[in-house]
Amino acid sequence: MFNKILVANRGEIAIRVMRACKELGIKTVAVYSDADKNALHVQYADEAVHIGAASPKESYLNADALIRAALDSKADAVHPGYGFLSENASFAAAVESAKLTFIGPSADSIRAMGDKAESKIRMKKAGVPTVPGAEGLESFSDFEKAADEIGYPILVKASAGGGGKGMRIVWDSDDLPEEVDAARREALHAFGDDRLLIEKYVADAHHIEFQVFGDKHGHLVHLFERECSVQRRHQKIIEETPSPSLTPELRKQMGEAAIKAARAVNYYNAGTIEFIFDPLLSTFYFLEMNTRLQVEHPITEHATGLDLVHWQIRIAAGEHFPYQQDQLSQRGHAIECRIYAEDPANNFLPSTGKLLQYIEPRGPGIRVDSGFRAGDEVTHFYDPMLAKLIVHGESRELAIQKMQTALRDFVVHGVVTNIDFMQAVLAHPDFADGKVSTRWIENNFNWTPPVEPPFESFIAASLADIVVPGTKSQVPGLNESDPYSPWKTPSGFRN
Amino acid sequence: MKITFDNTTIDLVPTDKSYRVTLGDKTAEVEILRAKDGQLELLIDGKRLTAYVSSDGAKRWVTVNGRTFVLTKSSGARKSGGGQHHAAGELTAPMPGQIRAVNVREGDAVTKGQTLMILEAMKMEIRIQAPMDGVVKSLAVKQGQTVEREQILVVVAGQTSKV
Repeated sequence: MFNKILVANRGEIAIRVMRACKELGIKTVAVYSDADKNALHVQYADEAVHIGAASPKESYLNADALIRAALDSKADAVHPGYGFLSENASFAAAVESAKLTFIGPSADSIRAMGDKAESKIRMKKAGVPTVPGAEGLESFSDFEKAADEIGYPILVKASAGGGGKGMRIVWDSDDLPEEVDAARREALHAFGDDRLLIEKYVADAHHIEFQVFGDKHGHLVHLFERECSVQRRHQKIIEETPSPSLTPELRKQMGEAAIKAARAVNYYNAGTIEFIFDPLLSTFYFLEMNTRLQVEHPITEHATGLDLVHWQIRIAAGEHFPYQQDQLSQRGHAIECRIYAEDPANNFLPSTGKLLQYIEPRGPGIRVDSGFRAGDEVTHFYDPMLAKLIVHGESRELAIQKMQTALRDFVVHGVVTNIDFMQAVLAHPDFADGKVSTRWIENNFNWTPPVEPPFESFIAASLADIVVPGTKSQVPGLNESDPYSPWKTPSGFRN
Repeated sequence: MKITFDNTTIDLVPTDKSYRVTLGDKTAEVEILRAKDGQLELLIDGKRLTAYVSSDGAKRWVTVNGRTFVLTKSSGARKSGGGQHHAAGELTAPMPGQIRAVNVREGDAVTKGQTLMILEAMKMEIRIQAPMDGVVKSLAVKQGQTVEREQILVVVAGQTSKV
């Protein structure tokens, strides 16, 4: 086992990993940028190394500085967390060439899954379903034939494209000629290249992913699914397991496909196979693999009872993963909400500032993974996620109720958060019915913040002005009979 | 006594051990059970409520019943005659960013349109200009400082509005 692990990350995930290290009796090294000198993850580690300026490129993405920090502090392994360099094959290779252990898959596996075109070819070869499509189409009859084979609706896309330009959804074969012509014109105009490809369009797609886990001795299992369809701007905000969309039969099929996919790249350690799921046809397609720990890993931990970070470390140290597939099961229901410093009423723009108050909810079945405390500064340098709120209940219904209660107890002042927005999503009948698809927030969910603050908020604000000098002072004269005492009127208002 | 947040005026009348709070046609008897560290335990018409309040300049962050609101307290200098709004010379950051340069000092006389400071945000430079002829009453930020949206940067006192 390792003596000391350097965590090449910041914020909540750095703390999450260090907590696992402490539990396993392993010393921890934090790294930090100029902006994170007083950050919680630095405070939490046994030792900390400064690696550069606030900009990620100069610190958390600086492979040389990270490896030097690991060698200087005599760490014997590096945990990359998620984001930053966690899916960078050259970083994994550089860590290993420095005679350190990279806590994750091999550089080869990362590389194989990193290239989207190559990974799709590999998956097809391995017998994993991928989104049906056709390329190299010339004449209109080619398009017609391919579209009939794939089945409507289809997506006509520019080969050279991106950003939705030259992209048309075709619902019916009658519309195909017109839409192909339009897409061709758009593609030529936007990219100077009118080549098109077509792909199956999954209308109300769900995002369902499978956690896989393998050791270095060829043993590979899956740890079931996570439903991550609640997304804004292609980013997950609520995840849950089990998925309300899956039957036991589908779960089994998808789990087997996930293992097949991971086996095709000789995968070990923690990884995630993402699928697009079509709820109408109950079909699923490989989307991509994330070759690292996921943000939403805690819900899998609660449903399976396994500590994924413990096992990442133990597998990296060469241990055997001891559980067979039939020994693993899901228990109860777990949900995660990502609490962001962002303004849902203003296009989800990040909100920065000092956390004037920061109170996390507590209680049975409630877990908060966060990297902030009151007084901390939320800067524009890094991801605006403040915390992950995770609950585990006996059933989906009870887990939702637990989440709603926990969100009510979460107090954040100083930055705008998405807490109210989360409450509105959780309370929506579509969410209760498990009908939320990845574009639901964009297309079906109209949220507006309340216009009128309630009477109680004015009562509290006005009384706080009288009795609480500043933000956090005591109230020296609260029991005095004279409410006009100068003790109580620190602010400049006059009656 | 009256306190105004945004456009809503609250009237507080102290009674024996509580306050009578009035907002428009709504009135409540409010007793403060405990007040500490930005947390207020209140008895509103006999019902318990825990509220969280933080102040941030004129802004008040208030959480009641699991929801958070931001209220802005109006200046206390209302009663001064001429109707000139005190806050007119308060210049705030239009977006989060960093103060690139501060060109004036407190007490400096400035003319309308003069660039007082430069805010760098999202790779753009934004000029913060004097809205009128007057004097720099207070500088709230320094060069290099990171600021939030709507944070007060500088206050210019107009020549006409003597407070």
